[in-house]
Amino acid sequence: MSLSVLLSVNGVAREVALDDPRVTLLDLLRERLGLTGTKKGCDRGQCGACTVLVDGRRINSCLTLAASCDGARVLTIEGLAEEGALHPVQEAFIAHDGFQCGFCTPGQIMSAVGLILEGHAGDDPERIREGMSGNICRCGAYAGITAAILDAERRLAERNRAEAA
Amino acid sequence: MFGVGARVRRKEDDRLLRGRGRFVADIALVGMRELAFVRSPVAHARILSFDIPEQVRRQVFTWQDLEPAGVRPIRAASGLPGFKVSEQPPLAADKVRFAGEPIAVTVAATRAEAEDIASQVIAEFDELPPNVDMLAAAAPGAPCVHEHWSDNIFLETRVGQSFEKDVAAAPVRISRSIRTQRQCIVPLEGKGLVAHWDRQAEQLVLYTATQMPHIVRSGLSECLGLPLEAIRVIAPDVGGGFGWKGLLQPEEVVAAWLCLHLGCPLRWMEDRREHLVAAANAREHHYEITAYADADGRLLGVDADAWVDAGAYSIYPFSACLEAAQVGSILPGPYDFPHYRCRTFSVCTNKPPIVPFRGVARANVCFAMEQIIDAIAAAVGREAWEVRLLNLVPPEKMPFDNITGKHFDSGDYPESLRRAVAGIDLASVRRRQLQGEPDGRLVGVGFATYCEQGAHGTAVYHGWGIPMVPGYEQVQARITADGGLELRAGIQSHGQGMETSFAQVAHEVLGIPLERIRLVHGDTGLTPYSTGTWGSRSMVMAGGAVATACRRLADRLRRIAAHLLQARLEDVTLSGGMLQSGQADITIAEIARTWYLAPQLLPADVDPGGLEITAGYKPKSDHGTFSYATHAAVVAVDAEVGLVEILDYLVVEDAGTMVNPAIVEGQIFGGVAQGIGTALYECSPYDDAGQPMASTLMDYLLPGFTEVPAIRIEHMETPSPYTEFGVKGLGEGGVIAPSAVLCNAINDALKARGAVVTDQPVTPARILAALRNARAEPPP
Ligand code: FES
Ligand code: FES
Repeated sequence: MSLSVLLSVNGVAREVALDDPRVTLLDLLRERLGLTGTKKGCDRGQCGACTVLVDGRRINSCLTLAASCDGARVLTIEGLAEEGALHPVQEAFIAHDGFQCGFCTPGQIMSAVGLILEGHAGDDPERIREGMSGNICRCGAYAGITAAILDAERRLAERNRAEAA
Repeated sequence: MFGVGARVRRKEDDRLLRGRGRFVADIALVGMRELAFVRSPVAHARILSFDIPEQVRRQVFTWQDLEPAGVRPIRAASGLPGFKVSEQPPLAADKVRFAGEPIAVTVAATRAEAEDIASQVIAEFDELPPNVDMLAAAAPGAPCVHEHWSDNIFLETRVGQSFEKDVAAAPVRISRSIRTQRQCIVPLEGKGLVAHWDRQAEQLVLYTATQMPHIVRSGLSECLGLPLEAIRVIAPDVGGGFGWKGLLQPEEVVAAWLCLHLGCPLRWMEDRREHLVAAANAREHHYEITAYADADGRLLGVDADAWVDAGAYSIYPFSACLEAAQVGSILPGPYDFPHYRCRTFSVCTNKPPIVPFRGVARANVCFAMEQIIDAIAAAVGREAWEVRLLNLVPPEKMPFDNITGKHFDSGDYPESLRRAVAGIDLASVRRRQLQGEPDGRLVGVGFATYCEQGAHGTAVYHGWGIPMVPGYEQVQARITADGGLELRAGIQSHGQGMETSFAQVAHEVLGIPLERIRLVHGDTGLTPYSTGTWGSRSMVMAGGAVATACRRLADRLRRIAAHLLQARLEDVTLSGGMLQSGQADITIAEIARTWYLAPQLLPADVDPGGLEITAGYKPKSDHGTFSYATHAAVVAVDAEVGLVEILDYLVVEDAGTMVNPAIVEGQIFGGVAQGIGTALYECSPYDDAGQPMASTLMDYLLPGFTEVPAIRIEHMETPSPYTEFGVKGLGEGGVIAPSAVLCNAINDALKARGAVVTDQPVTPARILAALRNARAEPPP
């Protein structure tokens, strides 16, 4: 059986013929489209390393069948930085030392971007921690990530205000 | 500003933030096929037969295929007398010794297909009684894991003399049984590999997620019978290791052989279930300790028996007795007392082998010893920190040789404790306890002080019998024709930021800008031999070699500069990348250009070695460095449900000179987070049949955002007298104390109810059980 999925990945239309209906979005990105920035930490929805945005919402791509993404807009870590400049969340991860080995980092960043888009964490570190609790960092950079998200939220809000003015 | 001590941004950051790091799973080679392993479903059994469907027969391999081809079992023999050697065929031969042991491997175009085939391979077993609990396995009459052994003890060690008569009159005698659980290491990236045959180089090339590429190469050479020059091992970006990537894995041997056999590139990625059930185990200890003290709480003697559940096989290269051998020598901790005796047993069981997990043995020893200190304090009616202070090695005795011959190099241990007491505000916690909490929870405060041996020297490893003894650590340094600097080191950086910190060291010596300094690491084809990154050694050892190599290059630069500037050698100085004599100066880049492109201008007696050098380094003392710290925590315990909240956590640490404080702090945060997991959550239990019960991250609980509180750090900085710039190893320190601190804090909270917990992890169930016991047997 072969089925074909049409989806937009980082703004580029991609059509992929699937020979196996079990292929997850994660494996589609990594193995078929060569987008290896998204990581596989558990393949069971328990670590967050595979987080990407689908139609603006964060999901675990390891738990998402590629076949169910027909027509979806997918944003991965590779598509986050605009024209080479880092996204404010990425900037903040550097400023606040939000990682060490960097393996969880793409998932953390995409999850953070999704969390900020959801807009209900606000500037409450407790709610940020709650909202990020699906993302494991074995290097233990939690404090840095939380600080980075608070900071990025501020920067994004300023940017939005400046653009509105 | 960018040299030693600077908080500079990491060079590694940009690629990792953009998802452009290259981890092993990101490598794809043309024609690459995938492997899946068939694993034993039982803990202890003889393999009677395999049933492999004919249509997939050619895609399945067992030991019957590997052995006739000359593959040898993995063998890691300790040099300590009496050690019993285990042989681990990389695919089980006639017997399986733990559930999860690889028994066959399958090859297919995709992992999914390889797994489909694996599910069709059926083995028939004759089951044997498993050894699950180490104390039972160590008892006479237990079935032998290795049938030609006389018992299940890899090794028994003894340290110290009997001292009963010396402590007969001791007013305080404390005895405790203490257990620590089996843990899994769980770096977020599991292990994984890509193997291929490089036709041009005529080399087997193994990309593998490892902390020690040179050691993997040695191990492969032994198991495959290939000469070393026919093997190249490359560690690409590695997503955390914490010890799990410090061994030769059976899967590496199998994949390497299959790659040679099939002639195509192969990939195997450990999945999370394989990781949790079949591999990265560590830290399961049992202690029976008796301590003697005087009426003030001054320690007079410690008498201990320690058992370590080492699993079924001795791992390469650290062997099955690294943990236990360490326990014997480090149990006394940072304390000074006159009498000590310790027996240790490395017990062989039907569980996966153990691997040295960050803070190897030290975390367990700290958990045990610091409970003892608190118990002594309770017995003599003093604050636990006062008893600690009484027993810590004082600064005026530094450097200090302790009762097991450990050479504590420098520092002020008591000061770290005093600062922790002040920083955690003990007095206010005591007031708070008197007032009680509005929500009825019980508040407690705990302390733990430890010292951490890192960068272990040649004699230390030889003394522990480890078959891989580190010697001089070498680094190659090369100034390029345009004035840049290439450093080549055999260590491997996987989150420690060494591409940055080593550049800082080189910059400190040569003044070349950081962006022009590049570290090549983790590739046996490009770097000098090294035992790799483990034991908090890389900054001290390879960092020291970087400094040594750069100093020698500086010397050569000065000689050439003296000639070109027509100055006397002793008048030429190097600073900020510029060589100067009086008003005349010349850049490193100009000298480099002269060496490479205009050698006619060089002095006749120029060093023909040029601007490239390999330097070897050892610290002035071979004992390793000793970092130390006091951790303190305040917790609130809910006596109804047993839940623990960490209200405050403080680290006062001294790891000598910090090359990059941001990296140091990251290491400490990360270590403490893992220590919190050790203390409260992580556990890999086995049932009576030897079946692992934690096979997903829903069963094996890792600390996450909501479990790790804000951690405060106070630095002290006592330079080591023995190392370059006075740095000390610190990568493991953070993980050593948390379980001791939290256990002590929880016991401080529970003491109002007369309850005590002694075993790790301190789960709600254990806390509730302790409270129930206390109600059943109220304290006298
Ligand atoms: S890989 Fe998807 S959640 Fe872990
Ligand atoms: S940075 Fe290593 S797992 Fe998060």
